[in-house]
Amino acid sequence: MTVLVAGVWGALLLLPAVVHDAYFLNGMILVLIYGSAAQAWNLLGGYGGQLSFGHAVFFGLGAYTSTLLFSRAGVSPWAGMWAGALVATGVSLVVGYPTFRLRRHYFALATLALAEVVRISFLNWPFVGAAVGLYLPVQLMNRPGTMMWSAKPPYYYLALALFGLACALALVVDRTRVGLYLRTIDQDEEAASALGIPGRRYKLLAMALSAAVTALAGTLFAQYVLYVDPSSVLDASRSVLFAVMALVGGRGTVVGPAVGAGFLTLLSQYAGGLLGGFGKGYDYVVYGVAIMLVAVYEPRGIVGLLDRFAPGRRRGVPGPAEPPEGEGARVPSSPVQGPRPARPLLRVEALWKRFGGLEALRDVSLEVRRGEIVGVLGPNGAGKSTLFDCVTGFLRPDGGSILLRSDGAERRLEGRPPAWIAQQGLARTFQMIRVFPGLTVWQNMLAGQEHRGESLADAFRPTPRAVRERLEGLLRLVGLWDQRDLAAGQLSYGQQKLLALAMALVRRPSVVLLDEPVAGVNPTMIQRLMEHIRLQNAEGVTFLIIEHNMDVLMELASRVYFMADGRVVAEGSPEAIQANDDVLALYYGR
Amino acid sequence: MGLFLSAAVDGLVMGLVYALVSLGLGMIWGVMDIINFAHTEYVMLAMYATYFAWRGAHLDPLGALPGVVLLGFGAGVATYLVVIRRIMAASPVTQIFATFGLLLFLRYTAFAVFGPNFLGIRWPLAAGALVLAGVPVDRAKVYAALAGLATYGLLFSFLQRTKVGKALQATAQNPTAALALGIEVERMYMLAWGLSIATAAVAGVFLLPFYQVSPTVGDAFVLIAFASVVLGGFGTLFGPLVGGVAIGLIEGIAGTLIAPTFKLVFVFAAFLLALFLRPTGILGRDQA
Repeated sequence: MTVLVAGVWGALLLLPAVVHDAYFLNGMILVLIYGSAAQAWNLLGGYGGQLSFGHAVFFGLGAYTSTLLFSRAGVSPWAGMWAGALVATGVSLVVGYPTFRLRRHYFALATLALAEVVRISFLNWPFVGAAVGLYLPVQLMNRPGTMMWSAKPPYYYLALALFGLACALALVVDRTRVGLYLRTIDQDEEAASALGIPGRRYKLLAMALSAAVTALAGTLFAQYVLYVDPSSVLDASRSVLFAVMALVGGRGTVVGPAVGAGFLTLLSQYAGGLLGGFGKGYDYVVYGVAIMLVAVYEPRGIVGLLDRFAPGRRRGVPGPAEPPEGEGARVPSSPVQGPRPARPLLRVEALWKRFGGLEALRDVSLEVRRGEIVGVLGPNGAGKSTLFDCVTGFLRPDGGSILLRSDGAERRLEGRPPAWIAQQGLARTFQMIRVFPGLTVWQNMLAGQEHRGESLADAFRPTPRAVRERLEGLLRLVGLWDQRDLAAGQLSYGQQKLLALAMALVRRPSVVLLDEPVAGVNPTMIQRLMEHIRLQNAEGVTFLIIEHNMDVLMELASRVYFMADGRVVAEGSPEAIQANDDVLALYYGR
Repeated sequence: MGLFLSAAVDGLVMGLVYALVSLGLGMIWGVMDIINFAHTEYVMLAMYATYFAWRGAHLDPLGALPGVVLLGFGAGVATYLVVIRRIMAASPVTQIFATFGLLLFLRYTAFAVFGPNFLGIRWPLAAGALVLAGVPVDRAKVYAALAGLATYGLLFSFLQRTKVGKALQATAQNPTAALALGIEVERMYMLAWGLSIATAAVAGVFLLPFYQVSPTVGDAFVLIAFASVVLGGFGTLFGPLVGGVAIGLIEGIAGTLIAPTFKLVFVFAAFLLALFLRPTGILGRDQA
């Protein structure tokens, strides 16, 4: 693989020395420029799963900004290209910020709409030349600093350099936590936020990088064709091209967009030759069919297709290099704990939640003390999961307060976003398991690491050794170390529950909320899960557990709250709850 | 004041047309949680069908209506069977790019077959203007607006009054439960797609008398249709109606009074503002 990549780059470097055909070089220059933009699109659309159908805007902004600066103010395009990147980044953040907090449909829509609005505005805006566009000052051709040459090779090498930059950037994203977090957002953003991953931050980062590189490609394109007008740089077909190249090649991989750019260029030339003479547009018929086929048969594109024939290769964040045999089996114990003070760690006070006319939570109060295992029991519809969703920020309560003691201070959690709450030391699992099925077990664990105080710069660095050792220890503990390179989706149901538990524990949360940890699991696995919960509790982790299975809570919990109909009906030791007449009446209908 | 009134009346009429264009889009969004990026391409195809019925068979839009709507229904069912059914279980990203591929395919096939020219028809019955509230409005636009209202009315009574309509609503709310009750969910989806594209066909038929068709005509409506659904709130039948009228008024008033060439910018601004303030739309229900 490395040899192949090196060979391709070598060939690309030597190409102009060997081939002098101007028509061919012209084609290659365009492929490299479009390929760079496709690679940039892939950062956001591929890794982050946020599809943009309006990348022509950033391409156009790059082209227009540098050209305006050059032709009106005499600023060299070598400086203007960065100004263009800056403008594009600014616009991308303005669009991304409001739409990224919503489901991804809206982002796709907003980009589609943005492209159309910008195109029409530029078409009618005299300052930017309206429909006529702008011409570069060609009389300055070949002078230093003008980025204009009468020969093709300088453009070729510049385009190649840009393509190299785009690929390098993609490689960095792919190999670091940035790419990993983007993938978790792509696969299940809610689950990512429950781990404390600030989704919008990474989406905005990917968007900014993507817009900047696309704008650089736009400047280069303008310098090459020597004019800018709405139909050459802002047209919807440009947006389509970038997206289709990345999607067909294989989104979320470094080689995908490159393969896609090459493949589609060949395809459109071939299809053009085959069908040509009927007018333009056939390329796009072919593109349309191609991405529908990709969607239906192989969403991972050509790269995914190739992967089928050469399985077993792993991509993305590399797994642990050398397993230090036997060493990792011990779980590094949690920070020193003194005698357990019976101080409430988590307090829920008078919590209310309504859904329309239904009162799902009515004046619910409970507290969890450090070192406890507290159970929440109750029939279906009692409001248990709603309670969890309110505490972890997935639902906004209508009244009451939720207080968590962390770093010696009590913090209010109500109304805060899930990722922030998770970063305060609160972890949760979901009733329906939500691991990231397309990531390996090891990558899932990496995603679970501490995100509090993790800066963007940190996310570009390798995961610290101490963290990796902890991950290894936990994986060995739950018995998933040998499966570390398997996709989490390939694990059995019980194993996925173990993985979800291990992921919640990675960052040493002060309280772990488990939503039906043993539901749907066979008895042996139930025993293993209970064993792990007990073990972790001995290590100092506090648990709040929703469970239907009364026997499990009887064995594990030190205290139990019984909920019914949105209220806490009873509270006490498991034995007391089991003997409570109200509880029996509500639970068993006796 | 006169200018404002005329902009408002024109905006209202166009708003009802937009409501018709976005009706089917909102329906599929609500029933199956799939966003059909290709929806307005079907409007474009219906406009071509109406054009050729007029030129080839000398049928006026009213004459062409039953045939085109039937074709639309068939195209919807076919789209479901050929493409959508296979991506139901796929990730949202895959669903988005699949229907986007459909958009490209339909648009550029039309481009290859019909060429890039703008085509229009003359419909004597819709020539001239009607005076509404003292404002003259293009008669063809009024017909299109009435067709929009009629389509909403028909669809509403179908969904409320018939057993099949209720089954469709049940499927939208909970497909698993619907299946358990013996509703043939697969058929309901076919029906939803058929109805969705049939409404797009109605829109196409009534647009053609005052709006020339070209392969990229969908572009002019795609933003408006999405903005209508988002603004009105998806998951409700009348959401797109409210949203469409709101968009028509914004476009009409802001476009006429401030800057006609930038009217789409106002629509886009309204769309972004709606996302900021109320992502569930005017009539939409809050989602967990």
